[in-house]
Amino acid sequence: MSRPTPWRESLIRATSGICAASALFFLFAVLAVMFVFAWPSIIFNGWHFLWGVPWSIGNLYGGNFVVHNGIEAPQGAEYGMLVFLVGTVLTSLIALVVAVPVSLGVAVFLTEVAPARLAAAVGVLVELLSGVPSVVFGLWGVEVVAPLVGHGLGIFLTRTLGFIPFFAGPVGTGVGLLSAGLVLAVMIIPIIAAISRDILARVPRDMKEQGLALGVTRWELVRTIVLPYARSGIIGAVVLGLGRAMGETMAVLMVSGSAINILPHNVYSPVGTMAANIVALLDSAMTDSTGMAVHALAELALALFMITLIVNLLVPVVTSGVNIIAGTVPGAGGEKH
Amino acid sequence: MRKPKAWKLLTGLAVAGVLAVSLAGCGTSSSTGPSSGGQVSLLETGSTLLYPLFNIWVPDYTAKNTNIHITTQGTGSGTGISQATNGSAQIGASDAYMNDAFLQKTPGMLNIPMAISAQQINYNVPGLNDVHLKLNGPALAKIYSQTTYWDDPAIATLNPGMKLPHKVIVPVHRSDGSGDTFIFTQYLTFSTPSWKAGPNAGLNISWPAVQGGVGANGNPGMVQALQQNQYSIAYVGISWLDQTNAAKLGEAQLQNYDGNFVLPTPDTIQAAANALYKTTPQDERISLVFASGANSYPIINYEYAIINQKQANADTATAVKNFLTWALSPTGGGSTTYLDKVHFQPLPPSIVTLSQNQINKIGS
Repeated sequence: MSRPTPWRESLIRATSGICAASALFFLFAVLAVMFVFAWPSIIFNGWHFLWGVPWSIGNLYGGNFVVHNGIEAPQGAEYGMLVFLVGTVLTSLIALVVAVPVSLGVAVFLTEVAPARLAAAVGVLVELLSGVPSVVFGLWGVEVVAPLVGHGLGIFLTRTLGFIPFFAGPVGTGVGLLSAGLVLAVMIIPIIAAISRDILARVPRDMKEQGLALGVTRWELVRTIVLPYARSGIIGAVVLGLGRAMGETMAVLMVSGSAINILPHNVYSPVGTMAANIVALLDSAMTDSTGMAVHALAELALALFMITLIVNLLVPVVTSGVNIIAGTVPGAGGEKH
Repeated sequence: MRKPKAWKLLTGLAVAGVLAVSLAGCGTSSSTGPSSGGQVSLLETGSTLLYPLFNIWVPDYTAKNTNIHITTQGTGSGTGISQATNGSAQIGASDAYMNDAFLQKTPGMLNIPMAISAQQINYNVPGLNDVHLKLNGPALAKIYSQTTYWDDPAIATLNPGMKLPHKVIVPVHRSDGSGDTFIFTQYLTFSTPSWKAGPNAGLNISWPAVQGGVGANGNPGMVQALQQNQYSIAYVGISWLDQTNAAKLGEAQLQNYDGNFVLPTPDTIQAAANALYKTTPQDERISLVFASGANSYPIINYEYAIINQKQANADTATAVKNFLTWALSPTGGGSTTYLDKVHFQPLPPSIVTLSQNQINKIGS
């Protein structure tokens, strides 16, 4: 064994430093490019973009143009992202509500309940699931989930939970908020479950043994020792899942019903999400000679990017708070992946 | 001994530079288009209405012209227009012609009619799928503008004596940029003043807010949405007629300019084409929707190949030109052997000449 020579060491330092810096560079480069692309739309639409409901490319075949704030756009062009913002937030929320308990169940089963060999096998399956292309989930959503929601689950929910306004009918076609949320849930379960499992596996054995020595049941052990200890790490896993859910495009496009100009009125309503809408509208946007349609989609992308960024930046804040409340060792289980 | 910082930085930059060059090298080695040995690869993308025709054209053509390889994709007319314009596809397929302002920004783009198509209005209403309900522009505009029941007066008055269900209509529209949306919304625009003043026509329009209305991707998505949802209605390209028939979906009779209700048959499509084709300008960008004539079907259109007049090189230009010339020819791809399979109608001889004139402009 020989120590690396100094020049090798400095080479490694320099290259790894550049690689590390490149992540930051690309982040800012993407942000800057999107900002430049979005700028005419920001000027044209103003603050209205943030809470406006109508999304209209304008009449491209009319040959008439309007100028607003010094920016030209086809007559009738008007852009507001509220429908897509609401669609993104609600589908992601439904996905989390379904996925988090299931994922934690999987993680607890794998680390605390299952025999080692079974845990390894199931663990591989869970990780395999995270590698399935999203279009496959989309197809499954269209063929299985949407009909199930439209003809079974949705009707069941209106009968059982119909007294809650958002769960009341009509159920409609099945494609929409609930189907999109369920498909997203299945897509993020492997992410949350796999990371949570790794975190639960790091709970020190002596802590668990102390608990067992005190005679707690397995359930009490999980609830009072394992989960609180791993809480901040689990929140990190959930946020990673949330990021995936908010950015997911293809599968959502296929099952969301691509609503435009209308906010969902119940949990079965067709919705549009920011990511899916960008894909759906980009091709015809390119035929807008003023470019406004593309600029507006860039602003939508910028908004999605900022939201994802904010959610991720909030993680340290939230997790540190939880640690204090839970009274666990600061930083324990808080490793980011 | 430590090397100075500058050295550290320099080695780092060198490594990064090598990486960048090797990555760039990877990028350039995989380009579409012509390669050596006279082999030419073409990409056709766009309209899902035209896609079935390209899919029967291409195998027959490339079997006899083995130096040409053509990939076909059904992605929507919006994609066809934009990818042909930015050069990522050599042949863009579209049911819609390019708008004036966009064409001015991209001079040299050709809109070449290859055949005449039509659009069906399909529905899935249990018990009524075999009766050909009568619909008109204002009724469709209402269905796509607000929550409407199947027994709405706007529909009932067109279908006297028909027992219509009191069920909410699920209007299905295309979520992707679509020439089908373009010709459908043209029919509404030309026939219904309130639609003209409102959403108007385009590849992608700002659909009025209708609770429960859904978007579907491509003609396959439209047929699937109809199949899966009772009481739905959708506009579907005539090249999908075999699929809509197999799915036992209803097909509406539409009210034409003269006030008669007609189905899209070879006769009614031809009648509509005959009423309008003579007005086709040299650049062939014209709507054939809502033609006059007692027997004219109201939603017909030219199916366009969207081509950049200036191709990347001579080989590609020749390949595109030869393929389109064959596809246009009444003895080649334009024969009823091909067109009948997708329920398209051949172009009138004078339009074939106009299209051939445009094809002849393709160069490099």
